[in-house]
Amino acid sequence: MTAPRSNREFIEACLKSGDAVRIRQEVDWENEAGAIVRRACELEAPAPFMEKIRDYPGFSYFGAPLSTYRRMAISMGMDPASSLPEIGREYLKRTNGDPVKPIEIRKKDAPCKENILKGTGVDLCKLPIPLVHDGDGGRYVGTWHAVITRHPVRGDVNWGMYRQMMFDSRTMSGAVFPFSDLGKALNDYYLPRGETCPFATAIGLSPLAGMAACAPSPIPEEELTGMLAGEPVKLVKCETNDLLVPADAEIILEGEILPDYKVEEGPFGEYTGYRTSPRDFRVTFRVNCITYRNNATMTISNMGVPQDEGQLLRSFSLGLELEKLLRSQGIPVTGVYMHPRSTHHMMIVGVKPTYAGIAMQIAQLAFGSKLGPWFHMVIVVDDQTDIYNWNEVFHALCTRCNPERGIHVFRNTTGTALYPHATPHDRRYNIGSQVLFDCLWPVDWDKVNDVPTLVSFKNVYPKDIQEKVLANWTDYGYPPVR
Amino acid sequence: MNQWEVFVMDLAELAEGKELELTIRTLNPGIHKYTYKRVRARVSAALDRFPDRLQVRMGRGQLSDRKFSIEVLEEIRRLPAKYQ
Ligand SMILES: Cc1cc2nc3c(=O)[nH]c(=O)nc-3n(C[C@H](O)[C@H](O)[C@H](O)COP(=O)(O)O)c2cc1C
Repeated sequence: MTAPRSNREFIEACLKSGDAVRIRQEVDWENEAGAIVRRACELEAPAPFMEKIRDYPGFSYFGAPLSTYRRMAISMGMDPASSLPEIGREYLKRTNGDPVKPIEIRKKDAPCKENILKGTGVDLCKLPIPLVHDGDGGRYVGTWHAVITRHPVRGDVNWGMYRQMMFDSRTMSGAVFPFSDLGKALNDYYLPRGETCPFATAIGLSPLAGMAACAPSPIPEEELTGMLAGEPVKLVKCETNDLLVPADAEIILEGEILPDYKVEEGPFGEYTGYRTSPRDFRVTFRVNCITYRNNATMTISNMGVPQDEGQLLRSFSLGLELEKLLRSQGIPVTGVYMHPRSTHHMMIVGVKPTYAGIAMQIAQLAFGSKLGPWFHMVIVVDDQTDIYNWNEVFHALCTRCNPERGIHVFRNTTGTALYPHATPHDRRYNIGSQVLFDCLWPVDWDKVNDVPTLVSFKNVYPKDIQEKVLANWTDYGYPPVR
Repeated sequence: MNQWEVFVMDLAELAEGKELELTIRTLNPGIHKYTYKRVRARVSAALDRFPDRLQVRMGRGQLSDRKFSIEVLEEIRRLPAKYQ
């Protein structure tokens, strides 16, 4: 199976495998489409492909693109039944290879140029921008997309998924955090100089381009997409600036980020499952040109309580990128896992406890890295604990983590405006605090006399007894264990 | 009659009897529903006082049960002229 190259191929693949449903009746862009996506997320149901939208003939919606591991496997060209560790291993294999550079194609060959709106024709309201949740601060254009910019000095390109709200027909306001790649470029360069920053927003990307845009990887996203897909991404030049955008994206918005014009953004339903971050003056995007495919499909991620892309996909890539970082430092980790239900707030790290302070070293690297602002809990367990098995992790946490020696609070770190537990002041200034739960037996305990013995079927019985009991299990009268 | 909506942290921001600067969004049906304008306006809790209606949402999107009438006096252009 090859990875679907575009959003359209992805929808087809999901319809075929039963991981998407085609909704033929008309749906309303105001709340109804959002409510369908939300319910599909909460039920882990197939993704809704909504073919008819009120007021917007010719457009469609595709919601909840990557909110299940099945759809994540399909996006990678894998068997939909692949397990999470299998998908994770494949991600690590593909993203540890050589970068796959994109190729530029001619404008006349690019589907995203089928319709072009410029000058007085530019009106964001010509696109079916949904009101995703009732009570949101606005209709959100960018919920599953990439904001594309180029660093003014280094020249490298950044694709980032930063939410964008329509303020008026030409203006969007977005949440670009100061510690993100774009946030750094704006604060280091454009804002102090009072210069505008060219941008393009690509909506309806191939699922792997979407995955790359929200992965905290140091590899440029256009190359990361190529690595994940196993072939180069096709890009095409914008109409009004020099940026290159994915040629098969459904909708492209071109424009400039304005340094000296601020409009309100939010509130918005967020991945934590709440509307937390305050309405505020954030980053202003002025749209100069809109291009889109015939019968364009707008993609919608609806963030709220688990599980949606905000938790599932971000947990996946944050965990795997941390694993890469820890391995690059030679730390003998068995794996890193974030349960999506933690709303990507809790990293579970398995490690062979070969030296003192290894849990602290892991936490310092995790919290001190670029990934750090997105989670505030690190649990470190030993290599005998299955990090994917919450029962085992929970047991380790509740029995091995010493309240005095095992819990370490990190103060005055970087946080986000989205943390529900943070004070209003800390949210406004992205001030964070984090905590390590060290669930390793201390290395200075005598392994024979001080370290307790785990009393489990697997650990305390001789192998021959275990085998006998397993072989006779149904004969004893028990139903088979799957 | 036009329908508008405003977000406030505190209902005291909607003081009656004076001119206010507000960011309001239209609730009129159509494709431009929910687009914003910055305006100078007067508001009143008396629904028949001013020609248009104003609905209020609080900081995290909660709909207030207080309703107002509103008169939009003029639109304020915040966008610097060089971008217009
Ligand atoms: C659906 C979705 C919405 C997101 N929205 C935002 C956002 O509004 N602001 C933000 O800074 N990051 C957001 N993220 C996370 C970023 O996409 C992620 O941090 C990405 O790596 C870009 O960050 P970078 O610029 O640091 O590389 C979102 C992720 C997802 C999956």
